[in-house]
Amino acid sequence: MKTKQLSRHRSDTYFSLFLDLPAILLTVSFIIVPIVDSVIKSFQTFGLKNIISKKPGIWNNFANYLYLLKTDEFGNATMHTFSFVLWIVVVQFVLAMLLALILNSNIKGARFMRSIMMTPWVVPTVISALIWMWLFQPQYGLLKYLVSVVTGGRVSEFAILNNPATALAGVGIAALWKQIPLMTLLLLAGLQNVPHDISEAAMIDGAGKVRRFFSIILPYLSPVIKVSLSMAIIENFKQFPLFWTMTGGGPNNATTTLAVLSYREAFVGMNLGAGAAITTLWMGMMIVVIFLYNKAFRIQDMQ
Amino acid sequence: MNQTQKSDSKVFTFFKTLTLVAILLFLLFPLYWVLITAFKTNLEAYRYPPTFFPRVPVIDSFVSLFKENNQFFVYYKNNIIVSSFVALLCCIVAIFAGYSLARFKNRWNRWFFALLLASQMFPVISRMISLYTIMGKLDIINTLAGLSLALLAAQAPFCIILMSSFFAGIPKEIEEAAYVDGAGRFRILFSIITPLVKSGLVAVGIYAFLMTWDDYLHAATLIQADGKRTLSVGIALRYLGELSYDWSLVNTISIVGTIPVVLLFFFFQKYMIKGLVAGAVKG
Repeated sequence: MKTKQLSRHRSDTYFSLFLDLPAILLTVSFIIVPIVDSVIKSFQTFGLKNIISKKPGIWNNFANYLYLLKTDEFGNATMHTFSFVLWIVVVQFVLAMLLALILNSNIKGARFMRSIMMTPWVVPTVISALIWMWLFQPQYGLLKYLVSVVTGGRVSEFAILNNPATALAGVGIAALWKQIPLMTLLLLAGLQNVPHDISEAAMIDGAGKVRRFFSIILPYLSPVIKVSLSMAIIENFKQFPLFWTMTGGGPNNATTTLAVLSYREAFVGMNLGAGAAITTLWMGMMIVVIFLYNKAFRIQDMQ
Repeated sequence: MNQTQKSDSKVFTFFKTLTLVAILLFLLFPLYWVLITAFKTNLEAYRYPPTFFPRVPVIDSFVSLFKENNQFFVYYKNNIIVSSFVALLCCIVAIFAGYSLARFKNRWNRWFFALLLASQMFPVISRMISLYTIMGKLDIINTLAGLSLALLAAQAPFCIILMSSFFAGIPKEIEEAAYVDGAGRFRILFSIITPLVKSGLVAVGIYAFLMTWDDYLHAATLIQADGKRTLSVGIALRYLGELSYDWSLVNTISIVGTIPVVLLFFFFQKYMIKGLVAGAVKG
């Protein structure tokens, strides 16, 4: 009997490995190997010539990295990326939390509203870029009109994407529009799991709305918040199509993030080695951010 | 809960409603705006100040999309082919690996799970720099099959984790009984267990379809021939190239390009909402 169980155990292992095999093959060959290869390429001179002649790249003594340090471009792109991620994630969290709390408060038509508010999430990213470019259009755009009405005609020319000071915010609005629905949905699902009786008991004890939110609802939501924030951080760190379609990194590089810079270097300038150096540093930063983020949540959980 | 509502002051209710209306307007008004622009004449679309309802709704821009700008439908068709293919294969891969993750808690699967989590983090551009060269050497660059494989690998990790959270909800006793009856492992998986997670499978398939439909970077780097381009890249390169855009046409394209995914989402909404929540919270 014992040997039979043992052999069953071993055959379980083989069977599970067999089932994992297609996914492992895919992940290793289309994700892990390319990532490692791009890190290697970041230390090489690798450009269009190598692709045409199918010759491997040559080690170049950190030339790609030194090249990045020569101009401010990389530093600026890093700044843009971080400020974009920070602003979008904070604003998105506040708005999604407000919407989720309201939809969870027994109002009429909450189910219907939850369902139609998901639409922007489904709209393809490039198309959401087009939608907002049309609203922001410098001559006939709706936003220009609204701004001129609100300011009583004082600001009659408002082109958010053409001004280096506001362009990043313009792309951010489109990003918020597309991402708020999913975060609201996740937070709403979390809110629905908060035990009713606890919240009610606190109310009877005389705890106000704000007090109840911070000392009962928020701690219960902590796991959901952790997941949805980390999804938002990763997504915005990687954001590319919105920038590329709406501004192409302009005006005057005001919206050039690490994604735009690496794409431009690798696929417009065809300097794949330098592009790989940017993505390697970019990945490193992302890993550090996620690590610190997890650590922060762990400390908070212990308290 | 009634007590709460009674205790709500009028000021509170007012601000609550105001916030709700403001956020919903922000989310939904842009869609309305695109919709009415598509039904305006070009002359009216370029009117300033803009009109909030088309004076005479026309379908000119739809006709022109079908007649003069029908290269759009080549991109559209490619997008349907690639997205369906990826969704289908993703379901199969996710049944295999998702079941294995949920059912067999061994050392290998812990590593496998970590691999899946990590692989969702890497920037796509980093992969593309390398895949562009590797797939070029293997001669699968510039093919829809190659593009689909690269996209399948990108969608699979989340789909597997999502699928495993559905398999985890199936009690082990069900398959134990079948095992004692002498059914083979594959028969148990496909004809006994999988039918029980049908709704999860629908969520996985549609999720993979939506994410593939949305792809820009894979197609932008791996496809060079215009006839093989997919939707996002096709639109960006063909209809946004010039200095002045034909905005009626662009708005029409936005609508036609979004319709399939919106329909799919709303038709299977029940599964999708449950699935997204389950997948995100588990992963």
